[in-house]
Amino acid sequence: MSAMRSIGLYIHIPFCLSKCPYCDFFSLVSYDEQLKERYINALKQEMEIYSQKIRDVEIISIYIGGGTPTVLTGGQLSEILSSCYHNFQIAKGAENTVEANPGTIDMEKMEMLFQAGVNRISLGAQSFNNKALKKMGRIHTKEDNIAAYQLARSAGFKNINVDIMFGLPGQSKKEFENVLTELIVLKPEHISLYALSVEPGTPLDNTIKTGKIRLPCDDFCNKLFLSASDYFSEFGYEHYEISNFAQYGKRCIHNELYWKNRSYLSIGAGVTSYIDNKRYQNYQELNQYIFLLENGILPIRYQEVLPLKERMAETIILNLRMMEGLDKKAFHSLFNIPMEDIYYQSLQNLKEQGLLTESKTHYFLTKKGILLANNVFMEFLD
Amino acid sequence: MKMTQLITTENIRNFSIIAHIDHGKSTIADRILELTEAISQREKREQILDNMDLEREKGITIKSKAVRLLYKAMDGKQYIFNLIDTPGHVDFSYEVSRNLAACEGALLVVDAAQGVQAQTLSNVQMALDNNLSIIPVINKIDLSTADPEKVSKEIKKIKGLENNPIFLVSAKDGTGIREMLEAVIKYIPHPGGSSDKPLQALIFDSVYNSYQGSIVYIRIVNGLAKPGMKIQTMSNNKIYEVTEVGIFTPKRKKVNQLSVGEVGYLTAAFKDVSLTKVGDTITNAEHPASQQLPGYKKVTPVVFCSFYPVENEDYHNLQYALEKLSLNDSSISYIAESSPALGFGFRCGFLGLLHMEIIQERLEREYKIQLIATTPSVLYLVHLKDKKIIEINNPSQLPDNNLIEFIEEPFIELTVISPSQFLGGIMELLQDRRGVFKNLEYLDKDRARLLYHLPLNEIMLDFYDRIKSISKGYASMDYHIIGYQESALIKVELLVNQDIVDNLSFISHKDKAYERARKLVDSLKTVIPHQLFEVPIQAKINNKIIARSTVKALKKNVLAKCYGGDITRKRKLLEKQKAGKKRMKKIGKVEIPQEAFMSILKID
Repeated sequence: MSAMRSIGLYIHIPFCLSKCPYCDFFSLVSYDEQLKERYINALKQEMEIYSQKIRDVEIISIYIGGGTPTVLTGGQLSEILSSCYHNFQIAKGAENTVEANPGTIDMEKMEMLFQAGVNRISLGAQSFNNKALKKMGRIHTKEDNIAAYQLARSAGFKNINVDIMFGLPGQSKKEFENVLTELIVLKPEHISLYALSVEPGTPLDNTIKTGKIRLPCDDFCNKLFLSASDYFSEFGYEHYEISNFAQYGKRCIHNELYWKNRSYLSIGAGVTSYIDNKRYQNYQELNQYIFLLENGILPIRYQEVLPLKERMAETIILNLRMMEGLDKKAFHSLFNIPMEDIYYQSLQNLKEQGLLTESKTHYFLTKKGILLANNVFMEFLD
Repeated sequence: MKMTQLITTENIRNFSIIAHIDHGKSTIADRILELTEAISQREKREQILDNMDLEREKGITIKSKAVRLLYKAMDGKQYIFNLIDTPGHVDFSYEVSRNLAACEGALLVVDAAQGVQAQTLSNVQMALDNNLSIIPVINKIDLSTADPEKVSKEIKKIKGLENNPIFLVSAKDGTGIREMLEAVIKYIPHPGGSSDKPLQALIFDSVYNSYQGSIVYIRIVNGLAKPGMKIQTMSNNKIYEVTEVGIFTPKRKKVNQLSVGEVGYLTAAFKDVSLTKVGDTITNAEHPASQQLPGYKKVTPVVFCSFYPVENEDYHNLQYALEKLSLNDSSISYIAESSPALGFGFRCGFLGLLHMEIIQERLEREYKIQLIATTPSVLYLVHLKDKKIIEINNPSQLPDNNLIEFIEEPFIELTVISPSQFLGGIMELLQDRRGVFKNLEYLDKDRARLLYHLPLNEIMLDFYDRIKSISKGYASMDYHIIGYQESALIKVELLVNQDIVDNLSFISHKDKAYERARKLVDSLKTVIPHQLFEVPIQAKINNKIIARSTVKALKKNVLAKCYGGDITRKRKLLEKQKAGKKRMKKIGKVEIPQEAFMSILKID
């Protein structure tokens, strides 16, 4: 009997009710019921094909993300989940997450998800300030956020993540502190705290260029971030990845797979999988994706075996996102060479700049390094 | 050939056509060619004398050309006309003056609607300096806006033309062309000189040909030239043997000899055009003339700029192209240089801005090399405290201010002719460009001629366009260099993080230094990326900081999510950013991108 490998399974739902002005991810806002149905069937078809191809794997985490997965009905989401169970071997106690938009859930949906085997909800609250939510084009209010959270709790969920954004246009320190207070009384098991980033070509980017709105400066954002980090740790959260905080034992298993550069299979339009050092990317155009699967063909647009250099770089970059950092021994055994043999100068530079530090076993980012992680990462690239 | 026996100087007329740009010089030349027997209709192309594409497009003549025409006059006699076409721009004024020196007369073409323009006047001046008989011709009388009467008055006001009869023509429909040609016979004297005297031939142009080397265009002032003769170029006393002489029909056509008064070409074993300088005199090496013809001077570049290929691999093509072009144009100079921003390229010298523009376009068009051209600079004469004088054509070469006694820069005399309602705006511009008012004179009740002295450097950037826009296109300008004058010029040094960056330092007039420095430090602030520490950008004169800006330290660049498939996308973005960093020039601890070096080119 060959050893089972543990991998993650990601399923993408590329539908939204409306497009947020800062978002540059692929999702559709106009679609009909029929397209949704065909898409779900295509997802099931894709899983079935992979179930024949990938053997000896055990799925330790399923993550249904988007887009907005909760634009689907409880029944549809359950159907997808049961297809996962049907096609793959899912580990006992696997972490099964669904991203939920507070504006698109109700009790019935929550209960159905729970029943279908979902055991973690990631709630896209983003803020607890109604003005800010409106400005960011979110379709839900602070009250919706709290209600959705309570719904999830009463449906039985014991592991909830809340997404919070900071560095919003016009955000004050006071406003942000209020958001944190409202958040902490909910006692989520997990918090994602990330800065609003302005992606080129988004409506937000365009508005900023007209000068109508301005983002707070870096110094201010750093202050917000560092004070939030302190605040969370007071309440027992561990800052374990650049933008993630968890109660003891509640780190996100699925995302840890990413950050440790482990294998995961992704299903859906436009997704990327990483299996045995090979990266696969699916077609993004929905009709093409569906059409190929309806004809029994995997919708892979592009695949590459990552060259050693890139694999090393990605491994380092991802691991350094984790606060515990990069395990020197793990790197050595993975690539058969000590990290210092390849990156001696880079490591020296970064240490001199005060961005990186090391223990006997690990390299990890300093506080300054967390804020300037791109400068650190760049050192490891050609 | 029967014709050669007919030649006596009495039936030769050597003349040029001079005109302001677009007043119809080339069209008139075409009509003359039609009425004479130079070319058949079949051979005729519009504007036959202008045969470089660029000349057609810009509507100007860049290289001069000559053609021999046979004209049967009203008196029944056959005349030989040698029409010498002249470059129509100030950059080539030396060439123009030598072309004119090869003639006895000139047709002065003035547009019937636009009237006398700046170049009209400078052309007249040059023709008078060469003692030419001038026949004023008002062209385009077919235009509905033509006002020949008014233009006639303007012409009669020009000093030296008060009594010359004026001819009205339309080159477009041919009106008046024959009368104009009759006037050539009547008013332009036939050549003087004698075929018995020792050879004196004026070189008024030369072209390079890969088989024959330099082919020189000559006007025989005295004596005669024929194949086999030993000749000597008088500026450098080099001796050659004539291999061929001929005339322009307008194609080159071999003849047995060229005699006094004639215009034609001559080949000897001249390796390249730098050996056959325009204005030089060719004489018989065995019986040399006692003196050189007057007016020869060595032309030197006045305007400098650097050309860098956009693609590095084009460097050798660029070198090849410059070599080729300079075979035909000895006034181009070029030396290799390198810049942190732009890589390897050439510092080139030109006769003027138009000359520079033409060469740049020819490099891009004929040699298909994409170029980055730096801001043009003049040649500065730097007088050092130790009494040495050095020539500087690139601000980065300027020594420290404390070594400099004073700096001289070339000045020009600028003529602007403009409708009077725009004079205010034009004078304001000229004042701003360090202009010194010299004279204002009305050509008629609503047009005036302004005369200013100002540094050549001040018209290098965005000057002609400004004049045109201030005057809604109605003003015309012309200038010539009047020599070097001392100016309050200083070197402004630029420091990034306390290190002096030579390639960002510049020369400026004292009064403008502050403003330029301010603009530069401000623009650098936006292009130098944030470093992990604060970076001061300073401009200083001697030890005094005159402007400063600060690139704040980088505080944050990533607090965003990174999941799943994101990583490859992120990695690629970071790789791109890193590649950008690699192209930057590291000065001290600071990485400076190419745009920063470009920004110095953009401030004026």
